[in-house]
Amino acid sequence: MLSYLVHRILIMIPTLIAISIVIFTIINLPQGNYFTTYVAELQASGEATDLAKIQFLEQEYGLDRPLWQQYLYWAFGLLHGDMGYSFAYNLPVNKVVGDRLFLTFLVSFATILFTYVASFPIGVYSATHQYSWADYGLTFLGFLGLATPSFLLALVLLYFANVYLGISIGGLMDPQYIDKPWSAPKALSVLAHLWIPVIVIGTAGTASMIRRLRANLLDELQRQYVVTARAKGLHPLKLLFKYPLRMALNPFISDIGSLLPHVISGAAIVSVVMSLPTTGPMLLDALRSQDMYLAGSFLMFMAFLTVIGVFVSDIALAILDPRIRLQAGRRR
Amino acid sequence: MSPANPTRREVIQGSVALGATLVLPNALSANLQETPAFNEDVARARLPKIEDRVPEEPAVADLQTIGRPGGELRMLMAGPKDTRMMVVYGYARLVAYTPELELVPDILKSIEIEGNRVYTLHLRKGHKWSDGHPFTSEDFRYWYEDVAHNKHLSPSGLPITMMPAGEGPRFEVLDDVTVRYSWKHANPLFLPSVAGPDPLFIYRPFHYLKQFHEKYADKAALETLVQQANQRNWVALHNRLDSMYRNDNPDLPSLQPWVLKTKPPSDRFIFERNPYYYRVDKQGQQLPYIDRVVLSIADSKIIPAKTGAGESDLQGRYLRFDNYTFLKASEQHNNFKVWLWRTGPGSQLALYPNLNVNDEVWQALMRDLRFRRALSLAVNRHEINQVIYFGLAIEGQNTVLPQSPLYRPEYRSAWASFDVPEANRLLDLIGLTKRDRDGIRLLPDERPMEIIVENSGESTEQSDVLELIRDAWRRIGIKLFAKPSQLTLFRRRVFSGETLMSIDKGVENGLATAAMSPWEFAPTTQQQLEWPKWGQYYETKGAAGEAPSLPSAIRLKELYEAWLAGGSQQDHAQTWKNILQVWADEVFSIGTVAGVLQPIVVNDRLRNVPEQGIYNWDPGAYFGIYKPDGFWFELSEAPAKSAAATTRSAAPL
Repeated sequence: MLSYLVHRILIMIPTLIAISIVIFTIINLPQGNYFTTYVAELQASGEATDLAKIQFLEQEYGLDRPLWQQYLYWAFGLLHGDMGYSFAYNLPVNKVVGDRLFLTFLVSFATILFTYVASFPIGVYSATHQYSWADYGLTFLGFLGLATPSFLLALVLLYFANVYLGISIGGLMDPQYIDKPWSAPKALSVLAHLWIPVIVIGTAGTASMIRRLRANLLDELQRQYVVTARAKGLHPLKLLFKYPLRMALNPFISDIGSLLPHVISGAAIVSVVMSLPTTGPMLLDALRSQDMYLAGSFLMFMAFLTVIGVFVSDIALAILDPRIRLQAGRRR
Repeated sequence: MSPANPTRREVIQGSVALGATLVLPNALSANLQETPAFNEDVARARLPKIEDRVPEEPAVADLQTIGRPGGELRMLMAGPKDTRMMVVYGYARLVAYTPELELVPDILKSIEIEGNRVYTLHLRKGHKWSDGHPFTSEDFRYWYEDVAHNKHLSPSGLPITMMPAGEGPRFEVLDDVTVRYSWKHANPLFLPSVAGPDPLFIYRPFHYLKQFHEKYADKAALETLVQQANQRNWVALHNRLDSMYRNDNPDLPSLQPWVLKTKPPSDRFIFERNPYYYRVDKQGQQLPYIDRVVLSIADSKIIPAKTGAGESDLQGRYLRFDNYTFLKASEQHNNFKVWLWRTGPGSQLALYPNLNVNDEVWQALMRDLRFRRALSLAVNRHEINQVIYFGLAIEGQNTVLPQSPLYRPEYRSAWASFDVPEANRLLDLIGLTKRDRDGIRLLPDERPMEIIVENSGESTEQSDVLELIRDAWRRIGIKLFAKPSQLTLFRRRVFSGETLMSIDKGVENGLATAAMSPWEFAPTTQQQLEWPKWGQYYETKGAAGEAPSLPSAIRLKELYEAWLAGGSQQDHAQTWKNILQVWADEVFSIGTVAGVLQPIVVNDRLRNVPEQGIYNWDPGAYFGIYKPDGFWFELSEAPAKSAAATTRSAAPL
């Protein structure tokens, strides 16, 4: 087990290096850099800017150097926990990201909770009542959630929430609470705003969750041990929760790997539409304006979390399910 | 207007008129009234009394209605960089445009001009920065000597608008409140650039910035500051904190009506009234009336919806004409009014044939006057107006608007009628008579005439307009393809000559007066989509680009240089007239419609906002030209008296 852990940890290093090179290359693929993009935008809106100033800023931030030097500079900083400097915000990247992380966590956890709460009962019910009307009805509902474009649902809900409930459009709280210390009214305001993004982002994930749970459970329900247990007169509910359901949970644990980065990235498109103060819109903006250190460092952070997440889920699987052999995938 | 034989020394005449109301009789200072919001601070001696806060001779605002201080103005912005809009809207400038587009002293008490060469600036005695420190000629000296002439802070030297014929001015401090700039050559660009929405700040808060300047600060102390701020060196630190326009440093003293109080990053920026502001109303109340301005940051696409939900008290930015019906529908429900202001560009959208296109066959055609005229004649402007702008826009070429004193109807109507037979005749004259099976004309080298019009892909409006033009051009045997791209890429392709034709906003300043620079009508910068290489040649003084080879373009360049050298207002007006005439004859860009309406959402209780106005960047500074420091909130919910407010608006539309 120990040598397996060490092996896994060591393999993370080349993985992360490869990811960082890919990220840096892709961000720098479009022509120009943050300053040229910014100036082009300013000029398009009539605000003239001194071209000499761009050269000056490029020198100041080292953007005139060859790419490999810029990469090394950035990677070296990352190793020291320095995520670089955001040109758009004129601040170090960690200060820009920091404020948004908490609210992103909040939205994502609430969404995951919502997805679980909505899809578990439905999934179990439709598996145990396969091909019944209720199964078809609930599955249909799930697919409807998957098929509805989430940004459209967001706009519709925003409109009705504003007209009938008087909730301010977009954002995660009423404007007067922004930047204020946390208090009871502020928390209530957040809760009042939270349900819309949670429903919108959640409905998309619910369908796939229902289908997976249903399929896994159906597989298990055919097994001989289930038949045996039934024959022996075990209570159907106790049987269900004690054996097949636990077996069906494996895929969810292996999902943790992709869950972690999802939690901090949020759903970018929906967040943009709803103007949520989360990290999704920030990343999108950074990529569009070629704010390369902000985009790069944030993506790197997400890559790091993915690698950790996969690692954790593998370990958890190995611990939870003794049938999984650690050596199976290794060649000697 | 200047006299026929101007005396050598004009005191605020010619291009700059002295507003007589701006000089305050000293008697009024006895009647200065304390602002309620400051009562407590003054009582506890945390703030000096109002007599000691405003200048000895404050500027007296001539307002439509005398207001009541207090209240909070909410506005929506799309990003943290938009804090600069408060400098634009605040519009406290050394000299500023009035709604009638006259330049008058604003922060300055007065200004003396000798033949557009020597400018003597008189400050107001006792004028203070927002932190209470005196605003004096020392602040001008600091910028001129230690910022503009510091090779680290300003590697490119003095700004272009202060370098007529490549020479800088002689700068003198005459006393605490008087400075003088004298140039060898006439410099008509100086005042317009100081009065712009993104102004040339020729002063800096010396008492604050000196602690970050190598020359004044203690070396060790500065080094600590640089490290604390996580900057590379003192230059970066100085640049970061010296953000008069970016307006993202809450510690930087300001002269604007509202001062930033929130430290970025944030999604909600609060600006509070400047206790040392230099303007008062006729009853002696210090401006601005409104205590606080709050900018909430939201995505630009959601701003119209939020505005419609009543979350903004004054909004124009990020609203488009096609939001009008939606906004109008929620008008009553959420207690605001939607007004329609005119926009200022010479044309909402204009086509730019690229005279510097690399393809030689096309280049020859683009430079053929008959070809450009034929293309223009085959654009159905009336149809565009009716279909896309509900018939509310002004049809015609890409030139100055009727509100401009330089306007003549024939500039706008030149080659702008929809005349397909005449366009066909012109094309036949050029010799483009061969056609393919589909009726598309053939180029001299037998290629079909297919024009790809590129755009920055930022709005569907461009594609809609192009769709209409495509149908019309089909009738003169020319095929049009629209190619949306991305802003940076789009400009790069135009600059390098790969683009045949582009569509973009028309000339920025459709409201030009004789005193404003006609640079947009002559090849002066690479940004001009019709002749990027000629513009670049001028911009780089011949180091890059190509020298203009078309006589009419050379003529425009010469006229522009004549304008720069010209002294009196008559000279300038005459030069402008010649430029606009050449521009109209030559059809270097093909205009569509102009004066498209901009919805302005105004809270029902907000007063002194004109119902009809011009929503323009320069001159205009959007709301700035109407001086928002005089806007105020009525306590009751009575509907806005719009009729009273309209008289302050610009010339009739």
